[in-house]
Amino acid sequence: MALKTSVFIRRAEREDLETIVGWMEDPAFQRFLYGDPARSPKQIREQIVGMLGRASARTLPMGIYFMADSPKYGPVGLFSVVGMSWRNRSCNIDSYICESRRNGMFGTVAFYRVLEYCFQVLNMNRINIYIYGFNTRSWRLFELTGAKQELVLREHVAREGQLHEMYGYGLLRSEFDKLREWFLKRFAGIDLETMISDYKQQQQTEAVKETT
Amino acid sequence: MISGTYTVIRSAEPDDANAMWRLYDPSRPRSFLLGPTREVMIPTQDEMREMLGRRDVVQGSFFTIEDRSGEIRGCCVLRGAKLESEFAEVVVALDSDAAYETPLADEVIEFLEKMGFVDKKLNKLVAHCLSNETQYRAYLARHGFVSDGIQRQMVYTRGQYFDLESLSLFNAAHNGSAHGTAVAAS
Repeated sequence: MALKTSVFIRRAEREDLETIVGWMEDPAFQRFLYGDPARSPKQIREQIVGMLGRASARTLPMGIYFMADSPKYGPVGLFSVVGMSWRNRSCNIDSYICESRRNGMFGTVAFYRVLEYCFQVLNMNRINIYIYGFNTRSWRLFELTGAKQELVLREHVAREGQLHEMYGYGLLRSEFDKLREWFLKRFAGIDLETMISDYKQQQQTEAVKETT
Repeated sequence: MISGTYTVIRSAEPDDANAMWRLYDPSRPRSFLLGPTREVMIPTQDEMREMLGRRDVVQGSFFTIEDRSGEIRGCCVLRGAKLESEFAEVVVALDSDAAYETPLADEVIEFLEKMGFVDKKLNKLVAHCLSNETQYRAYLARHGFVSDGIQRQMVYTRGQYFDLESLSLFNAAHNGSAHGTAVAAS
């Protein structure tokens, strides 16, 4: 089955700041991602500005931030690839999909493409995902991608005066390779290469339209 | 300074750098050597000295362990105490694997447990061990730590991957064991 989706991933830019700050109004954004009770909204905003800053081209980045975007709906989510260890060939992924797009395939397609970027482009061997126990929707998504729940950290994270569980998921390269084979058979067109060629084709079509 | 039956536990000092540096042995992968991104970190002696000179890093969290003859046998750490989440990580690094089976090691973990649960009123202590640290893991389990899971192929060093296990000990379980209740250890 060929996948027809308009969602693509791209690097987050300074121009995305207002969109991301707008998402900060969503309680899930702070509760699931940046919910350290000791930090003010101003500090969170400063962190986001830092994330979107351009790093020197010669240095290895501390983190890579992707927007999940769609020509039809605009930006729909944010993915952070952080905690990169080039020696262990591992990194952590944090993800956020805006509330209005959580019920479609947007999250799954975008997340798959971020995984493909990590394994195929960054040549990682392992992806770590840490997630709070109350974030049911996200751990279902991660399990769908074949990530294994490896850690259950009881009473580990504080939210609204209560201690909650935190789960640690791990996805190894060998597991992703199997998943990739299965995904590509089932959803032709989900891969990064197709996404990039579709995007280029779209840019060319628009350029032709403009000249005519 | 805490003077016990088998140990003297005191805040680490820059002059401990040479003795402490022996623990940072790259041929013996240990969870103790892992940095923030779980990479094995081997500091130089100068870096050790500089780190031990930083009072904000060392005071109240990084301790030197001496035996009763005054020889430095290792170090222990209570780090990353998060008040809102009420937990901290403990690390006990001794000069040999066999040392984890001695009363000296028992005295060290009792010191850390008291500091975490009584002085800092924490809810939980966490610890980590690599798949090759069997004696350290047995030591933690003997003191009531239970496994929270194993992260596969987490650390790459000396040409191979190692799994990293997380363990935890809750205040309630610790108090239970102190009063004679059995504590499950996987």
